[in-house]
Amino acid sequence: MALALAAEGPIWPLGVYFVLVVVLAAGILAFSYVLGQRHRQQATDVPYESGMTPTGGARLRFPVDFYLVAMFFVIFDLESVFLFVWAVAVRELGWAGYVEVLIFMAVLLAALAYLWRSGALDWRASGSKPAPDKERGQ
Amino acid sequence: MMTRDLLALGPMLITAGGAVVLLLALAVCRSHAFASAWSVLVLAAALAAIPMTWPGAPASGDLLNLLAIDSWALAFWGIIFGSALVVCLLGFEYFRPLAVQAEEFYVLVLLSATGAAVLAAADHFATVFLGLELLSVSLFALAAYRRDQAISIEAGIKYLVLAGTSSALLLFGLALLYFHTASLRLSGLAGPLLAGHPDTIALYAGIALVLVAMGFKLGLAPMHVWTPDVYQGSPAPVSALVGSVSKAGAMAFMVRLAGVTLTGTPGVRNGVFYGLLVLAIASMFTGNLLALRQPNIKRLLAYSSIAHMGYCLLAVLPMAAGAALDRQAVFYYMLAHAVSILGAFGCVCAASENGREAQHVEDYRGLAWRRPVLAGVFSLMLLSLAGIPLTAGFLGKFYVLASGVRNALWLPAVCLVINSGIGLFYYLRVLGTLYQREEAESPDQFATSTAPSALLQPSPQLLLTHLTLAALVVLLIYFGLMPALASLPM
Repeated sequence: MALALAAEGPIWPLGVYFVLVVVLAAGILAFSYVLGQRHRQQATDVPYESGMTPTGGARLRFPVDFYLVAMFFVIFDLESVFLFVWAVAVRELGWAGYVEVLIFMAVLLAALAYLWRSGALDWRASGSKPAPDKERGQ
Repeated sequence: MMTRDLLALGPMLITAGGAVVLLLALAVCRSHAFASAWSVLVLAAALAAIPMTWPGAPASGDLLNLLAIDSWALAFWGIIFGSALVVCLLGFEYFRPLAVQAEEFYVLVLLSATGAAVLAAADHFATVFLGLELLSVSLFALAAYRRDQAISIEAGIKYLVLAGTSSALLLFGLALLYFHTASLRLSGLAGPLLAGHPDTIALYAGIALVLVAMGFKLGLAPMHVWTPDVYQGSPAPVSALVGSVSKAGAMAFMVRLAGVTLTGTPGVRNGVFYGLLVLAIASMFTGNLLALRQPNIKRLLAYSSIAHMGYCLLAVLPMAAGAALDRQAVFYYMLAHAVSILGAFGCVCAASENGREAQHVEDYRGLAWRRPVLAGVFSLMLLSLAGIPLTAGFLGKFYVLASGVRNALWLPAVCLVINSGIGLFYYLRVLGTLYQREEAESPDQFATSTAPSALLQPSPQLLLTHLTLAALVVLLIYFGLMPALASLPM
C-alpha cells in the first residue's frame, strides 16, 4: 500500500514554525544578554561559587574497564531479551526453535568462555595491582 | 526440507561455525600457527562447499524470505571466501614478527567474510543490515588491529564513524522503503508490486539513502573520503580485505538493488539510473585524478579502487534489461579486481620488513634490481589494475565496456576509456619506479644502508607470502587467458 508521507496541505506552516523556533531561541539569548545582570568577582568562575574550593585537576586517568562491563551488560542483556521472546512462543516454535535457541546460547557461551579466558572479566588491568590511590588527584 | 536448506547455507555455516570454534580454541590455548591454519582450512572448506550447493536455491519458504542463495550469490561467495583465504595466508607472515596478539585477526576475517556472504545473498532488509553490520564491525577492529601504531587506530576510528553514519542512513532508508511498500523484501520494490501506486517522497528518499549507504561501502565518489585513510592506516592484509571481500559483498548487493529498482516505476527507474550514472562517472574521475601524484602506494591503490568501482558500475547501469551478460560482466570485474588488489597488497606485505610497511613509492625504487621476482609480480598486478591484455583486469574491463556499448551507454563508456588512459599514467609511474636503478649512492649512505643486501635474497620467513603471490599470479594469468568463469549461468 502506498502511504503519502505528508498529509495533503500547504508546507508554509512548517516554514513559519521554523522561523518561530529561531526567533524564540534568539530572543531568549538576546533578552537574557540585555536584561541579565553581570558581575565578575573573585569566585565567579570557580565551579562551586559558594562551596568548597576544588583541588587538583579534573584530568585524571580513569581505568577504562568500565566500558567493557557496559558492553557485556548490553550483550548478555540482549541474550535474555531474545530468550524471553522465544519463551513466549516456545510451543509454536517446537523443536526447531529449541535447537535454534540452543545454537544461539552456544555461540554466546563460546563468547563468554573467550572473554573469561582472555581476562576481560578481570576488572583490574591485566596483571597489575589495584590502582594506587595517590595517582588520583594529581 | 532441512537438509536442502542446510546444504544451501553450507558455506556460510562453515565460516560462522569456524569462527566460533576458533574463538573457543583461543580461550583454551593461544597459537598463531593454529589460528592461521584453522581459518585457512575453514575457508577452503567453505569454498569446496560452494560447488556442492550449486545452483542451490533453498527449498523451504522460511529461508527464501531472508536469503536468495542463487548462482549469483554463490559466485560472489567464491570471490569472498577465496579473498579471505588469501588474506589469512598473507596475514600469517605479516603478523608473525609483530608484537600484537595476532590470533583474533583470523576470527575477525572469518566473521567479516561471513558478513559479506550474507550481504551478497541478502534479499530481505533484515539480512542486508545484519550482513553489513557483521562486515563493518569486524572491519573496524581489523583496521585498528595494529594498536602500536597511531595511524592504524586513526583508520579504525574513521572507519567506525563513517560506517556508522552509513549504517544509520541505510536503516533510515530501509525504514522509509518499508513505509512505502509495507514489505521488508527487496523484491517488494520491484515494478509489478509498485504498479498502480503513486510514488511518494518516502520511496525516493528511501532508495536514495540506501544507495548512498552502499556507495559508502563501495567507496563511490562523493562518499569515498574514508577510503584512502583506511587503506593507508590499516595493516596491509586488512587493506586487501577491504578492497576485495567488502567490495565484493557490497557490489553483489548493489546489483540486486539496481536490478530491482531499475525495473521499478518510471520515477524510480530514472532516479536510480541517473544517480548511478553520476556516481560512476564521478568515481572514475575522482579516483584517477587524485591518484595521479600520490606518493603513498596504499593510498594510490585506494584511489585506484575508487576508480575501479566506478568502472564496474558501468555494467550495473543496464541491469534493468536483466541480461545475464551484464551480471557476468560485473562478476568477472569484481573477480579480476579482487585478484589484482590482493596481489598488489600481497606485494606490499612481501616488501615490508620488520613490521615497517613499505608504503612509499620511493621504498620500491629499484625493487626490480633487488628482488626481481617480487617486482615482476607487482608489475603484473599493476598491469592488471591498469587493464593490460593477458591479465584478468583486461578481460574484466573488456566485459564491462562491452556491456556498456551493447546497451548504448556512450557517456560512461567514453569516460571509462578516458579514465583508463589517465589511470595508465600512475600505474606506469609506479612501474617505472620499480625498474629505476637507485641513484648512485654516496659512500657514507652505502655504508649505513644495510637494507638492500638484506633484501637481496628472498627471506625464507616470507615463504608463505611468496607462495600465495605465486598462486595469485597463476590465477591472474589464467583468468586473463581463459574467461571460462565469465560464462557461469547467472
